[in-house]
Formats: sequence, C-alpha cells, structure tokens
Amino acid sequence: MTLTTLLLLAAALIGIGVYGALSQQSFVMLMMGLELILNGVMLAAVAFWALSGAGVPEGQLLTIVVMAVMAIEMAMGFALVVAVFRTNQADVTEGITELKH
Amino acid sequence: MIVNELILPVILVTVVLVVGAYLVAVIDEAIAGALGLPRAANAWMAPLARGAWLLTQQANATEAPDWRAWRLAPALYLALAAIGLAVVPFSPTLIPTDLVTGVVLWGSIEALATVVIFLHGWSANTLLSLIGAYRYVALGLSYILISMFVLIGVALPAESLQFSQVVASQAELWNVIRQPLGLPLFLIVGLGVTFWGPLNLADSRDLAGGTASAISGPPRLVWNLARSAMLVAFSGAAASAFLGGWLGPWLPGPVWMLLKMLAVLAVLLLIGRLVPRVQPERCVTLMWVVLLPLSFVDLIWAGVEALW
Amino acid sequence: MDYPLIVDLFFVLLSVLAVVSGWRVFCTDSMVRASFFLLVSFIAVGLIMILLAAQYLGVAMFFMMAVEMMVMALFMVMFMMNPAGLNPMMMVHQHRFAIVAGAVSFVVLAAVALLAEFPDSPLPADLDPVTSLGNELLGDSMLIFESAGIVLLTTMIGVVVLSSHRGRFGAAEEGSMPPGLAPGGEPAGMPKESDEGGGHHHHHCH
Repeated sequence: MTLTTLLLLAAALIGIGVYGALSQQSFVMLMMGLELILNGVMLAAVAFWALSGAGVPEGQLLTIVVMAVMAIEMAMGFALVVAVFRTNQADVTEGITELKH
Repeated sequence: MIVNELILPVILVTVVLVVGAYLVAVIDEAIAGALGLPRAANAWMAPLARGAWLLTQQANATEAPDWRAWRLAPALYLALAAIGLAVVPFSPTLIPTDLVTGVVLWGSIEALATVVIFLHGWSANTLLSLIGAYRYVALGLSYILISMFVLIGVALPAESLQFSQVVASQAELWNVIRQPLGLPLFLIVGLGVTFWGPLNLADSRDLAGGTASAISGPPRLVWNLARSAMLVAFSGAAASAFLGGWLGPWLPGPVWMLLKMLAVLAVLLLIGRLVPRVQPERCVTLMWVVLLPLSFVDLIWAGVEALW
Repeated sequence: MDYPLIVDLFFVLLSVLAVVSGWRVFCTDSMVRASFFLLVSFIAVGLIMILLAAQYLGVAMFFMMAVEMMVMALFMVMFMMNPAGLNPMMMVHQHRFAIVAGAVSFVVLAAVALLAEFPDSPLPADLDPVTSLGNELLGDSMLIFESAGIVLLTTMIGVVVLSSHRGRFGAAEEGSMPPGLAPGGEPAGMPKESDEGGGHHHHHCH
C-alpha cells in the first residue's frame, strides 16, 4: 500500500465512474456513476492526507465535504427524477428532449 | 500477539453470541411460561431440538430467486451481529476490538442491517417477503436517526467515540440516570434492529413470516440464530452505553457485564411478549413525530449536562 | 512509509473488491443489485481508509453509504423497470464514447499517479486522527463545516419544492402515469379509458 497504488485504485474508480455517468440512460444509474467518481476522489484525498500531507486536518475535512456533496447530489438528483417523472413519465435521460434546444 | 489480538477476541465473540442466542430462546420460553402462553415442555431443550430439526430439513427454493443474495443475507446479518459485539468491552482490559469509533460503528451496523434485511426479503422473489422487506426499510430509515442522536448523547460526557471510554465515563453515575430518555429510546432501536416483538414488521405473522416466509431448513436456522445474536450484540451495546458496562462492586467486571446484558435481554423479551405489534404506518408516524423529537431532547439534555 | 505484510494483503484484496464491484454496477441486470454492488465498492474503500488510519472517515463511509444505497434501491424499484433482474438489461447511450472517456480519464490520472513526484510525509506517530478531525471541524474550519450544513438545509428545501405534491403545474397526481413498456409507448397497466385520474390520457412523449 503506497501512495502510487492508492492513486491508481482511485483512478480506476474514477474511470469506471466516468464511463457509467456518460453511458447510462437511466437517471439513477447515471447518479451511481457520479457517486463512483466521488468515491475515487475521497480515497485519493485520504491517501494524500495519510501518506503525503503529514496528517494535516484539512485532508480529512475535504473528505467530509465530499460526503456532504454526495448527499446533496443524491437528494437533488432524486428530486429532479421525481419532478421529471411527474411531468414526462420519463425515467431515462432521453425523456427530457425539450432541454436540448 | 496473534493469540491476544486475533484468536482470543474471535473465541470470546463467538462464545458470547452462540450462548447468548441460546439463552434468548430459553428466556423467551420461560417468559411465555410465566405469562401462561403456550410453550414448549422443556425450555432448556426446546431451542436445541428445533435447531437440530431445522438442520435436517431441506432448504426451500422459490421461482428464480437471487440465489447469492438470498443465501448470503442471513450470514451477513449474523456477521453484523458479530461485528457489533466485537466493539463491546467486557472489562477495562478484555475488549475484543477497542475501535476508537466504536459508537459510530454501531450506527453503521444498524444502517447495514437495513440493507441486509431488505436484501433477504427482496432476493426471495416472492410477494410476502418483498412486502416485509419494504416495511423494514420504512422502519429502518426511521430508527437510524433516533439511534444516532441517542448514541451521540452517550458519547458527549465521555468526550470520546470509544465504547471503553463511554463506560469509563459512567464511573460516578450511569447514563441511564444521567440521561433518562436515552435507554428507553435505545431499547426501541434495539427492537427495531432485530425486528422483535412490537416492531416485528418484517417477519410478522400477518405476512405469514414476511422476509422469512419462503426459507426453510439450514438458512432459516441461520436467520433465526442471527436475529437472536443481534439481540445479544445489542444488549451488549446497551449495557455498556447506559448501564455502566463492567462497572460494579464485589464481582469481577466481565460478570457484571454479562449480568447487565442478561437484564437488557430479559426486558426486551418481556416487551416482545407483552406489547402488541404496531401497525407499520402508525409506527413510522410514531418514530418521526414522537420519538425523533424526543431523541433531540435527549441530545440537548446530554449537551447541557456536559456543559454544566 | 512501510506497512506490514498483512496490511498490504488486505489492501490488494479490498482494491480488487472495490474495482470489481464498481465495474459490476454497470453490467448487472437488476438495478437493486447494481446499487448494492456500489455499496460493496464503498465499503471496500471505507475499509482501505481505516487501513490508512482514517478511522472516523472509514466508519462514517459505512453508515452514509448504507443509507444512501438503501434509498437508491428504493427509488430504483419505484421508478425504474426491471428491478428484479429477471430480464437482461443494458440501457446505454453513446457507449463507445463513454468507454473511451472512462479509459482516457483512467490513463491520465494513472499517469499523474505514476509520473508525478509527491512529497513523502506520512502521519506523525502521535497524531490522533479522530481528535484532529474534530478539532478542525469545530475549530479553524468551522465556517466551512457550518456552510456545508447550511447548503444541506437549502438542499432539503429545494428538494421538497421540486418533489412536493402541488407545484406550478397543478396537483402532482394529475397526469401521472406509469411509463410505457416501449419508449414512448402506451402507459403500462392502464386501461384505455378510466373515469378517475383526470383528463390527460395520452400524455406520453412523442
């Protein structure tokens, strides 16, 4: 367990998350991709905190902030899903084509 | 070092869980007998006989279940009970794992239990077990917050999230007196996390057994064992968070701890036999409208008391 | 900083678990299963955090993510098709572009991890991570912490406004219909003419 291997793991998680966020049609699956990206980000933040930052407390604080961002993303995402579903009966991103033009 | 840090804790947790789960069944039979309810002829042998019978039965199958999740869920629930008991201290030195964030770990065990119980009901691919799973999610998402606030209230006077520190902070006054709202609320959480008695919404009789309606044989034995084991682990957490854990005169610490765990178990099982099951929708209202504000009051109480 | 062999072993196992379950999220048939695979990935990362001595963050990860994924699974079943995973499911668009984008972001970040020089300064031996985090949250960085709280409160208000029953377009139930079995098709499981449920029968998009 070195900083390099930890960052490689974080990069792999972020890569899978980017794939998921870009490829999935369903809103909730798309959000899962975003969550996976944030998962990698949190791991990288903790890895830097533990191995490269001499344990400055801001490193842990950053992870807490990312957790809050995740909660906000989830809540807003689900509210938007509910709103879109109510007006368009759509549960996939193609369902809201009027946002395109 | 390996013996002290790995083998001894594993043996301790296993023995307490297995013996505790057996005692849960025995005490429950004894309470049923005392209340004049139908009971087995021999309270000491009945759980063993039922366990042996379940072990020889065939494991049931449903149409297209999610096999891996269905078989794993009882084992995962049992594992959660073991993890929960592993952070409970039996004496200042006899602590399976003295995790510095043990109190937070208990919160996450309750959250993960919701996932596991949902998975158990969902993966069977039958109607009644799915309804039981949904009911449990409604209950689980309601009691987790209450549990968090109550546990933060316990951690405040200890100025630590470590269970051993929480117990040590009760040397002068037990938390059950210092924070009178804490233990009753936490007992309700305990009934929720094991879906026992009045809060048995997931495996209730009106759903023909709910999430466990479609399992038989060894998986059912593991599921029943896991529920009892979770009750034991919870009683350990409650005894160390509110009843002063190993603290007590004359007797050695671990004996006090086990006695307090038995007392919590007896109270929980008595409630389970005496209080009727609450309606799911009424239960959710009760949790959010009455018990959650009460847990705020408990936390404010603990804060004011800590500042005094 | 050198870790004992057992820590390295656990790290390898947990990172394989995190990556494999993270990848399975997007190629399992059931959406409930997908959200629990994501939970497994989060738990593996939380355990790695505990290995890195971030005990509070690792354990906080467990309960945050357990609740989040539970809610996610519920929403899956409420809105999405095929929660039980009995049919094969592959709902993707711009698939090749997404694969390339994922691979490129991995390669770029991996190159940063491999080629960049980072200072090597491990945790001081006398650091108590939980106490240090607590002092930071309620000390120097209290403003940041509290603004996260305010933002969460704002989110709650926004979420209630967005998803409440009565909005700008009238009652929420009005025109609410199950999605079609085929994209843009007739609502599933609805009779053609029903007396209740208000006017909009053909509300699906074209």
